[in-house]
Amino acid sequence: MELSLDRLTKHYGSKIAVDHVCADLSPGVYGLLGANGAGKTTLMRMLCTVLESTSGEILLDGKKVTAMGAAYRDLLGYLPQDFGCYPNYTAEEFLRYIAALKGIPRHKAGEKVKELLEMTDLSHAAKKKLKTFSGGMKQRVGIAQALLNTPKILILDEPTAGLDPKERIRFRNLISDYAENRIVILSTHIVSDIEAIANQVFLMKKGKFILQGTIPELTLHAQDKVWELVVPQSESRRWLDTAAVASLRHEGPQTILRIISDTKPSEAAVPCYATLEDLYLYYFGDEERRDHQ
Amino acid sequence: MELIRLEHKKLWRKTSTKISVLLCLVYVIVIGGILSFQWFTYGSRNDYTSSFGNNFDGRSMIKDSQEYSLTFGGELTDKALQQMVTDYQNMAAANLDREQQLLDRSIIDSWLEQLYPELKDTGTYYTMITYASPEKLTGFYARRTQALEDFLEINEQTGAEREYLLRMEEKVEKPFSYEFSEGWSNLLASMIAELGTVIALFLAVVLSPLFSGEWRDHTSPLLLTTKHGWEGIAHAKIITGLLFTTELFLLLAAGLLLSQSFYLGWSGWDMPIQMIKLIAVAPMNMLQAEIYEYGFTLLGALGYTCIILLISSAVRNNMFALIFSLTAVYLPPVIAQYLPFSLQRALDLLPLVGSPTDIFRTNTFCLFGIYIWSPYLLITVPVLIGFLCIPFTVRRWARRPKN
Repeated sequence: MELSLDRLTKHYGSKIAVDHVCADLSPGVYGLLGANGAGKTTLMRMLCTVLESTSGEILLDGKKVTAMGAAYRDLLGYLPQDFGCYPNYTAEEFLRYIAALKGIPRHKAGEKVKELLEMTDLSHAAKKKLKTFSGGMKQRVGIAQALLNTPKILILDEPTAGLDPKERIRFRNLISDYAENRIVILSTHIVSDIEAIANQVFLMKKGKFILQGTIPELTLHAQDKVWELVVPQSESRRWLDTAAVASLRHEGPQTILRIISDTKPSEAAVPCYATLEDLYLYYFGDEERRDHQ
Repeated sequence: MELIRLEHKKLWRKTSTKISVLLCLVYVIVIGGILSFQWFTYGSRNDYTSSFGNNFDGRSMIKDSQEYSLTFGGELTDKALQQMVTDYQNMAAANLDREQQLLDRSIIDSWLEQLYPELKDTGTYYTMITYASPEKLTGFYARRTQALEDFLEINEQTGAEREYLLRMEEKVEKPFSYEFSEGWSNLLASMIAELGTVIALFLAVVLSPLFSGEWRDHTSPLLLTTKHGWEGIAHAKIITGLLFTTELFLLLAAGLLLSQSFYLGWSGWDMPIQMIKLIAVAPMNMLQAEIYEYGFTLLGALGYTCIILLISSAVRNNMFALIFSLTAVYLPPVIAQYLPFSLQRALDLLPLVGSPTDIFRTNTFCLFGIYIWSPYLLITVPVLIGFLCIPFTVRRWARRPKN
């Protein structure tokens, strides 16, 4: 099974959200990393056929997915970024409804729903109405519904948003187990999630894949750009304002800064091994800072 | 089937659906049916200033009226008409107020106004039944035929159209059988006739969010990526909408029929509809007219349901879907008065815009030179218009958005 993106493009008026994206995806977990507005959600919506592309094609084993219609959707599991549900439904009722939409026979749906509720640790809340659920619980219902038809292609937009650390770990394990012989594409801001489960990562900026590869391959791009610097606490503010600081740690009267920079930021700085997070900050540090301001 | 079952369940469990159905039942059955029969319309009157001043004795008044009407021999002849007017005037002279109310006063008065205009005293505000000389009330059927021909002449219904209508009229059996008619008149010209207007409001409230609500709930991306999320769910929603409309109609019709059975009964079901509208040309009795009106309302409501669903799938906003749905049924009658007559007639073909009371009228449509009595088209075209909307509804729902 191969999912190919052939010069996939999406324009919103004069704004280009996705710009001639090409990729060939075989079974595995793919992480989509990018700042807000990079085009991740637009790309995922096109992959799910809920959004029409301006140009380009998505092909599954050489066939246009738009022409495959229901046959393609039968292979698909999707968790949208703004996952909506019916507040007056219980988790079980909601999943049974989606199961019917996915064409799962009634007698099998009950079993599958039960299994997924257990898998997402929601068995205790199966009969509770969704309006009483916390954000994290709703997100787990979203993950469960995406897995209902045991999809060959699983597309998850910000799946770990709202999950606490324990739930995130459970989710990572679940996806890792699930991904064998299947294509899983997930987008997130949480770099550690991608680091933990993705085989391949696409770094997306302004609608384009600017980098793609395995995590070790990608982190090579940030080697010699990550530095550790020990400064007095009184100077830490100045460094935060002027440099891309990945992390900051106080130890007694001193502060240890992790700085992303093309050049050595100070004579006292020492080079460090780069992580995916460093790479992310290297490419998106400016945008992230702008967002926070 | 499973999808339809789940969609149907989803619709009925909404609070807005339950409240709407309850309000609709209360309005139509309790206020429009039970209270109207027992109080507003048929309760005996003391002061005539308001229907709210009526006594709570509608059922006994109806039963007494029905019994009293049988004293005229069961046929409407000159003699029977004279007897009715004489009785009324005698009762008025004897101040027998309750007894006067037992007679079909407003119906008899409308006959006198229409057939005996020369007896009208323009100098008094009293109704003709109070002063018309009974012995002058002769030639009822000849005068009726003349009144019908005059009416067609004034309406410029001549030539082939006139012939067509008069051919219908020939089939009306004479003399008319007669029993208490005001009950049937209120039922057919008001209660059932207005059912469509009321049902339209509640259908719009319940059904307009059927598709658009999925966008409000942010569930549409989820649904549209499932195997049956395009045509499958669209068809399930459409069938659910039609099913709900049928259920609501059956609930209301059952309620009205029960209250009719209890208060009015079925006595006089075989009277001609000319008892309600004297110059009607249709050879129909009261029961046939009632069946027609219920059929008209159901088919119109089904057609309107399809229009609501088309709007709902196209608009993707609950409030706009509701406003446009209400506009589709309530705006045409408002603007009709500013349009040429032919366009007014065309608007009547829209679901629930026309009136079932056309069975009492002489309206026709002319298609390719052939005259068709308007009720034939008013009952069939709205539902056909609705069914024509179905493919467009499915396409609108399944269309991938461009943004």
